[in-house]
Amino acid sequence: MTEYLPRIAAGIPGLDAVLGGGFVDGASYILQGQPGAGKTILANQIAFEALRAGRKVLYITLLAETHDRLFQSLSTLDFFDKERLGNGIVYLSVFQTLKDEGLSAVVSLLRQETRRQQATLLIFDGLLNARDRAETDIDVKTFVAEVQSQAAFVGCTVLFLTSARLADQSPEHTMVDGVIELYDELVGMRSARRLQVRKSRGSGALGGYHQFEITSSGICIYPRLESSLSHPSIPDMPSAKRISTGIEGLDELFLGGIPSGSVTLLLGSSGSGKTSLGLDFLSESSAAEPGMLFGFYETPERLLIKADALGISLREQVEQGAVYMRWQPLTENLIDKLGHRLLEEVRARGIKRLVIDALAGFERACLYSPRLIEFFAALCNELRALDVTTIVTWEKDSSAGSGAPGPELYSLIDNLVTLRQVPRRSGVTRSIALLKVRDGAFEPALHEFVIGTTGLKVAFPVDYPSNSLSISENSGL
Amino acid sequence: MAIIVIAEDEYLLATMLEAILEDENHEVRMAPHGVAALKLVRAHKPDLLITDFMMPLMTGLELAQAVREDPEISAIPILLVSGAQGSIGRAHPEAFDAVLDKPYDPARLVAAVNELLSD
Repeated sequence: MTEYLPRIAAGIPGLDAVLGGGFVDGASYILQGQPGAGKTILANQIAFEALRAGRKVLYITLLAETHDRLFQSLSTLDFFDKERLGNGIVYLSVFQTLKDEGLSAVVSLLRQETRRQQATLLIFDGLLNARDRAETDIDVKTFVAEVQSQAAFVGCTVLFLTSARLADQSPEHTMVDGVIELYDELVGMRSARRLQVRKSRGSGALGGYHQFEITSSGICIYPRLESSLSHPSIPDMPSAKRISTGIEGLDELFLGGIPSGSVTLLLGSSGSGKTSLGLDFLSESSAAEPGMLFGFYETPERLLIKADALGISLREQVEQGAVYMRWQPLTENLIDKLGHRLLEEVRARGIKRLVIDALAGFERACLYSPRLIEFFAALCNELRALDVTTIVTWEKDSSAGSGAPGPELYSLIDNLVTLRQVPRRSGVTRSIALLKVRDGAFEPALHEFVIGTTGLKVAFPVDYPSNSLSISENSGL
Repeated sequence: MAIIVIAEDEYLLATMLEAILEDENHEVRMAPHGVAALKLVRAHKPDLLITDFMMPLMTGLELAQAVREDPEISAIPILLVSGAQGSIGRAHPEAFDAVLDKPYDPARLVAAVNELLSD
């Protein structure tokens, strides 16, 4: 029978998930990263979260900035509470002891202080200095082993902080139970902060890189969506239920409405009516089955003006709380933050209709584009399991995205709808066609798509050249 | 010239204090924690004890109380130099003769030291 080690929640958003449930109680970890990577903030945030959870914390430093300077920089962060200093959390420097008496005296002092303070979390900032004081690797191993064994003896979890990038085979790494590394790197023109659990003894952590950001609230980690949701959080219970799209004539093309809990990709060029169709779809939301627009382009107010102009009764739905509009400017975003935020909103509000306008917003936020498929697979699977009927737009020939989703993306989505603008002698008209409905029949004929001042409508079938509707032709594949 | 014992665990602050007081021609003895400081105070019976609050093995308050309880050294003036715990120090006038909040400029430190030494 599998045994699970007792855990202590770190209390840092996302970190417990990455660690597989928090720190192992009484275990020791190395937290490493270059200067400026965020180690000190993360360590102090962990310390104050532990304090709030009723634990006592001993924070030990070696030669570094003075504690007052540290407190000054921490004072800009919400988690820091100056009033608690010396009251459950104690900052001590042991540099003089290290300098004058060596590592064994530091070990002795830590043992006495851990017991004296009744600390259950020991943070040791300055492993590099301790290493410099050691004469051999054996000395380093002995120091780490003695600190962690003494701490474990009294049920104290230990975090060793170091700015050195210790090698995997370093004596410190071989001794501790876990190694967490923070990175702050340039990707193109932007900065990318990432966390990686490089070692996790006796527990299943989420491997690979996880993005994080530092705000006034401290550090927030966004586990890679495809790793944290490698399987949906709840069982997928598909139903044969259909729901109305709200667009006159479109339910008929689906032969009775859009499948509930499905993901539909709406593909079309700029101005073809994707966003308008999404707004009309959301206007069918209700308090019992609310909807959400997760958009990257137009602000909520601009979208409401658009809906008003098209005769789509969305404003009232928004005012009544049946539709929630979340605008995420297409600036420097973190893809996993977007994914988690979207799912948090969906779960918190019980969203049943969702429009993502557009998928390119995720693509632009993705610093490693090959993972977009896995990311979107995890997102779609979770939305299906939550029985959210989702419409995702994709702008053909988009300047924001690559212009067309890859072929794998088509296999991830359930339904595919294309919108086109068709130049005619009388002007530009629009057309709509269903190219795919998973596990179901549908009306494949091309139809005129009318966007007027009294709403959207799928009108009569139209006849265009037969090759104009193949996926490759329309998507640019 | 006076003999001054400094109890301060932070090396940078301790060496800075030492330099400031030596510039004033005082003889300074350093201790990285309260236990070591108490030994120095008992051994040298200094003219002044300057102590931090948060220190290993013994807090500044515990150190001051230990000094006050020892008749041979109880009269030694004690200056608490502390950041967040200054208010705790002020709540214990029986333990500390004066409290100086961090960060402080050297002139204020020297003034506080001179005042305590002249008493």
